[in-house]
Amino acid sequence: MTGLRWELFRLAWREHPGLSALIVVYLSVGLASFAAIGLTLRALVEAARDGHVRTLAVAAASAAVAFSLDWVVGHLGISLRVHLAEKVGVTRITPELMLLSNDLPEIEHLERTDFQDRLTILIGQGWALGDAPWAVLESIFLSLRLLVTLAVLGSVDPWLLLLLPCAGAQLWLESFGRRRMVAAQLAAAEDQRLQRHLFADVCVNPGAAKEVLVAGISSRVATLQRHAYDRALRTRVGGLAASGRWSAAGWALFVAAFTGAIGLVAATGSPGDVVLAVVIGTQLRAAVEHVVHRSAEAANRITVLEPYRWLRAYAAQRRPAPGRPAPTRLRDGIELRNVTYIYPGTSREAVSSVSAHLPAGSVVALVGEYGSGKTTLVKLLAKMCSPDAGKILVDGIPLPSVDTVSWRAGMSAAFQDFGRYQTTFAESVELGDLGSPIDDAVAAADAETLVARLPLGHKTMLGRRFGGVELSEGQWQKVALARACVRPKPLLFLLDEPTASLDAPSEQAIFERYMERARRIAALTGGITVIVSHRFSTVAGADLILVMRAGRLVEAGKHEELTKLGGIYADLYGIQASAYASRSA
Amino acid sequence: MNELSRTVTGQVEIRLQRNSFESTIGTVHDRLALLRLLRDVGPALLALLIAVYLVDALMPAAIAVATGALVGTGGQDIMSAVLVLGGILLTGQAVSQFRPAVETLAGGRVDGAHRARLSELATRGATLPALERREVQDLIKIATADPLNWVDQTPGDGAVTQLELVVRYVGLLSSAAVLAAWSWWLIPAVVLPAFACRLLMVHEWRGHFRVWVAGIEHDRQKNYWNELAFRPAEGREARIFGFGAWLADRYLRHVNAHLGPVWSDDRRMARRTWWMFLLAAVPLAGVYFWVGYGTAAGHGSLAQLTAVVTAAWSMFQMIGRGYDMIALEGSRVVVAAIRDLERLLPSEPVQVAQGSGVRFAGVRFAYPETSRQILDGVDLEIAPGERVALVGLNGAGKSTLTKLLAGLYQPDSGTIAVETPVAVVFQDFVKYQLSLADNVTLGSAVPVDGAALESACEDAGLADVLSRLPDGYDTPLARARTGGVDLSGGQWQLVALARALYATRTGARVLVLDEPTAHLDVRTEADLFGRLAAITKGISVLLISHRLATVRQADRVALLDGGRITEQGTHEELMALGGAYARMYAIQAERFTRGFEDRLEEGELI
Repeated sequence: MTGLRWELFRLAWREHPGLSALIVVYLSVGLASFAAIGLTLRALVEAARDGHVRTLAVAAASAAVAFSLDWVVGHLGISLRVHLAEKVGVTRITPELMLLSNDLPEIEHLERTDFQDRLTILIGQGWALGDAPWAVLESIFLSLRLLVTLAVLGSVDPWLLLLLPCAGAQLWLESFGRRRMVAAQLAAAEDQRLQRHLFADVCVNPGAAKEVLVAGISSRVATLQRHAYDRALRTRVGGLAASGRWSAAGWALFVAAFTGAIGLVAATGSPGDVVLAVVIGTQLRAAVEHVVHRSAEAANRITVLEPYRWLRAYAAQRRPAPGRPAPTRLRDGIELRNVTYIYPGTSREAVSSVSAHLPAGSVVALVGEYGSGKTTLVKLLAKMCSPDAGKILVDGIPLPSVDTVSWRAGMSAAFQDFGRYQTTFAESVELGDLGSPIDDAVAAADAETLVARLPLGHKTMLGRRFGGVELSEGQWQKVALARACVRPKPLLFLLDEPTASLDAPSEQAIFERYMERARRIAALTGGITVIVSHRFSTVAGADLILVMRAGRLVEAGKHEELTKLGGIYADLYGIQASAYASRSA
Repeated sequence: MNELSRTVTGQVEIRLQRNSFESTIGTVHDRLALLRLLRDVGPALLALLIAVYLVDALMPAAIAVATGALVGTGGQDIMSAVLVLGGILLTGQAVSQFRPAVETLAGGRVDGAHRARLSELATRGATLPALERREVQDLIKIATADPLNWVDQTPGDGAVTQLELVVRYVGLLSSAAVLAAWSWWLIPAVVLPAFACRLLMVHEWRGHFRVWVAGIEHDRQKNYWNELAFRPAEGREARIFGFGAWLADRYLRHVNAHLGPVWSDDRRMARRTWWMFLLAAVPLAGVYFWVGYGTAAGHGSLAQLTAVVTAAWSMFQMIGRGYDMIALEGSRVVVAAIRDLERLLPSEPVQVAQGSGVRFAGVRFAYPETSRQILDGVDLEIAPGERVALVGLNGAGKSTLTKLLAGLYQPDSGTIAVETPVAVVFQDFVKYQLSLADNVTLGSAVPVDGAALESACEDAGLADVLSRLPDGYDTPLARARTGGVDLSGGQWQLVALARALYATRTGARVLVLDEPTAHLDVRTEADLFGRLAAITKGISVLLISHRLATVRQADRVALLDGGRITEQGTHEELMALGGAYARMYAIQAERFTRGFEDRLEEGELI
C-alpha cells in the first residue's frame, strides 16, 4: 500500500504542484507556530516580570501571531487538503477507475458478488483515494508536533522528558479505544442498513406504502425499523463509550504525571516556565487526539486503497490482447465445438459441451427452463466470457483471435437485464451507437406510441431518479430494444428475452418487424440473430431452435420437427396448448 | 408552496434564500424549534449532555484562573494550587472523552424520533394520493435526512449543535469575567474582533454551502454515472455499444459543472481566511502588550496576566468558529420539510363501507389533475367465496380498480363496500430484507400465527425454497444480511403470494391477485393455478391475469372496457355471447396455435 500511496502522492504533485507545496508549507508553519505559542508566552510573562518593555512588545506581538497563525493555518490546511483531494480524486482517479472497469473485455468483475462488494466501496470515493497520501503526511506532521511540544517541555527541565513515555502510553490506550469504536461501527452497519431499508424503501415509499396501508402493518413495520435503528445506535454508542473509557484512563495517567511535572516546575522554575508548561499541557490533548484521529483516518483509507489496488492488478492481468479485425460479413456462420463454461467460484458447468452450427443469415432461438444455460451461451457469443473448454469459430476463425472491440462494434444486443438510463429518451436510445440517427430504431422497437405519450417527446427525461417520467417495465424494455436497433446491420444480433414484459400485440408487432429486419440484414451481411425466449410465439418462426437443459443442448431443429419429436420442447409447448384445448369448444 | 420549488434542489435553495432574508425573529424561531427537538432526548441524558458541554465551555476560564493562581502562589500552597490545576485538567479531559458518546446518543434519539414521526405521517391514514404527489415526495426526500454528503444534516445534528452553541456562550461569560477582573475594557477589545471573526466565518460558510447546494443535482448525476461503470447490466451494454468512455466523459461534465464553482469559492474562501488572522492577531497583540505593560508597571499581578493571556485566546477559539452553521442551516431545512408534510398529508383514512364480499356501484374515478376518466361507472359484485377474473386491454384501469377496492383511493362518485381487511398481491410487492417468517407474517396486522405461516408457505408452493434456506423460516431474504440469501424473481413472487394467503388465514375475506404469476415459469404457473381453488376456499377472489387460458378457470369473468364492466359471466357464457371477450379469446387462442403466446399485458399509464 505504501507504494500505491507514494504513487498517488506523486500524481498530486504532478497535477497540482503549487497546491501540494502550499499544503506542505502550511503543515510546517502549523508545526512551528504551535511550538512558538508556549515559548512566546513564557517570554511575555518573563518580560512583564522583569519590566523589559521592548522585549515585552516583541513577545506580545509574537504570541499573538503564533496563536493566530496556528489557528488560521489549521483551518486552511484542512480545506486545502479537501480541495486537493477532490481535484485529484474526482477528476483524475474516478474517471481512471471507470475506464479501468469498462475497458475490461469481460464482466466477471461486475457479476461476481465478492468482486462487486469491492467495487461498490470505490463508488464516490475518488476523493478518499486522492486524500490517502495526505492523510499519512498529516499524521506524520502531527506526530512531529507532539515531539516538538515535548522537546520544549524538556528545555524547561530535562525531568519533564519523562512525560514522553506517558504520552506514548496515552497514545496507545487512545488508539486501542479507537479500534473499539471502529469495530462497533462495523458491527452496527447491518442494522443501520436494515433500518434505512425499512424506512426509505418501505415506510415513505409510496409503491411499498400501499401494501403497508392495506395490510394495516404500519405500526409493526415502524417498530421493526425503530428496533433496528435503536440496536445500531446502541452498538455505536457502546463503541464510543468503550473508546471514551480507554482514553479517559489514558488521560488520567497522563494528567497525574503532568500534574507532578507542573509541581516540579512551579517549585523550581520561573513563572514563565509554569505558564509554558500549562499552556503546552492543555494543548497536548488536542495534539494527541489529532494524531490518533488522523492516523486512524490514514489507516481507514486502506478500505478504499485495497479495492483500488485490486482492480488495477485485476485489470492489468486481463488487458485485452490485440486480435485480427472482425469480418464484415459472414459466409459460413458461427460454430460451437464442445463449448463448456463454468462460472468462476462455482463448480457446476453452466454450459456443458455444447456443439452447434449457427448458419450465416439465420434466426436462431434458444429455449429452456430457468438456469439451463441460455443466457450464458449468449454471453459466450458476445465474448463477455470465454469458454473453459471447446471452441467458438466465426467463419472458421477462432473467436479469441478476433479483436474484441471490433467484434462488438459489429454486433448489437438487448439483454434480459437491461440498463435503465436516467437521461432523455433520445440519449437512452442513442447510446446504442453514439452519433447515429435513432428514428428507424424507435420504429423498429414499436416505440413510436411511447414517444408520442411522453410529455416532451424525445427530450423527455426518463426515470424517477432525476425527476423524469417513470416508465413501466414494458416501456423500459421498448427503450432497450430501440437502443439495440440503432446499429443498422449487425453481424450478430443477440436478443435475450427481449419482449418478456411487453403485451402480446406489441410483441407481435416487434417480432414481425424483427424477422423482416433480420432477413434483410441476413441478405446484406449474412448476419445471425439469436433470440432467447420463453414465448412460443417468438420461437416458432425461427430457422433453428436449440433446446437447453441443465447446460446441455438436448434438442435442435425447427418447430415442426421438435413438436413431432415429443421431447422437452413438445412438453413445454403442450402445457400451454392444453390450457386452450381442454375446455374450449 | 411555490411553483419554483418543484425539485429538491429548488426547495433547498429557496429555503436558504428565504432564510437569508428572514428577520432575526424568524431565525430565533427556527433555532428554538431545533432546541425543542431535544425533548426526545429524555431528561437524564439531556442533563448529562448539558453538563458535558458546560464542563467543556468552562474549562478555558478555569484553567486560566488556576494557572494564574499557581503563578501567584510564590512558595507556599504550591501543592494545593498544583492539585487544583491537576483536578481541573483531569475533569476536563475525562469528561470530554465521553462527549462523542453522549452527543451521538442524544442526536441519535432525536433522529430516531424524527424518523418515527415521518413514518407515522406517511402511513397514518390511507394517504396514497397525497403521498404520490411530487411535492410530497420531494419533501420526504429532504425530511429523510440520510446524510449522503456534507450538506445533508439530520435534525439531531442541528439540535445538538444548537444546544452546544447556547452552552458555549455561557462559557464565554466565564472567560469574560476573567478578563474583566483585570479591566472591563478588555471585554470589548477581545469580544468584538472575535465576533467579527465569527460573522466572517458564518458568512463564508453559508456562501460556500449555497454554492455547493446550487449544484447538488450535478452531484447526484455525477454519482449516478459513476455507479453505472460498476453495474453488470449497464456494463454489458457499455461493452457491446462501446460507450464506456462516454460514461466517464458524462461523469466529468457533471463534476466540472458542480465543483468548478465550488473550487473557485474554495480559493476565495482561503484568501478571506487571512482576514481572520488580522482580526485575531492585531487585537491580541495590543491586549497582550497592554496587560503585560500594566503588569510591569505594577497594575495587577503576574497571576492575573497569565489568566488574561490564556482567557483572551480561548475566547477567539470559542467564538470564532463558523462551521457549526452547516449543521444549523442543513437541519433547519429538514425541520421545515416535516412541518410542511404535517400540513400536506391528511390524517384521516379513506372510509370504506363494510359489506360482505365486494360491491362496486356506479364507481367513477380519475387521477387527480388528469382529465382521463379511468373508471366511468363500474358496477361489480363478488359474492363471498366467489372467484372472479377481471380482464381488459392495456390501460383499461384494472390496477386502479384494485387500488380503489383496497381503500387506497376515494372514488369520485359511486359506492364501494368491501368486507375488510383485504389481502392484495400487488404487481410491485414489497421485498422486505427480513426473515421469511417476517416477510410472510407482514401480510396482516394480527399477532404472528405460526400455524397460518406454515400453511400459507406450503400452499404458495414455497416448500422447495424453504427446504433450501439455511435457517428455515428465520433466514433473512437478503444477501446483505448475515446468513441471508437472495431469491430469484419467481421465488419472491411465491413469497408475496404466501403473504397474501397468510392474510386470508388470519382474517382477510377478500383476496386480490394482480398478475400474481408474471415472474413464474410455465410449469410453476400451471401448477399454481391448478391449486388456486383449493387454497382460497371460502375467500372472495379477484384475479387479474393476462393469460386468458388461466382466467377461464374462475367462477365468473368480468371484462373492463372503457371504464365500465361491459361483459360478465362464466367463460362459456361469454364465449356463447360472442362479444369482445370471445373475440379476445379467439385471437389469443389462434395466436397460440399459430405459435404466438397468450399474454395481454397492461402497460402502466404515464
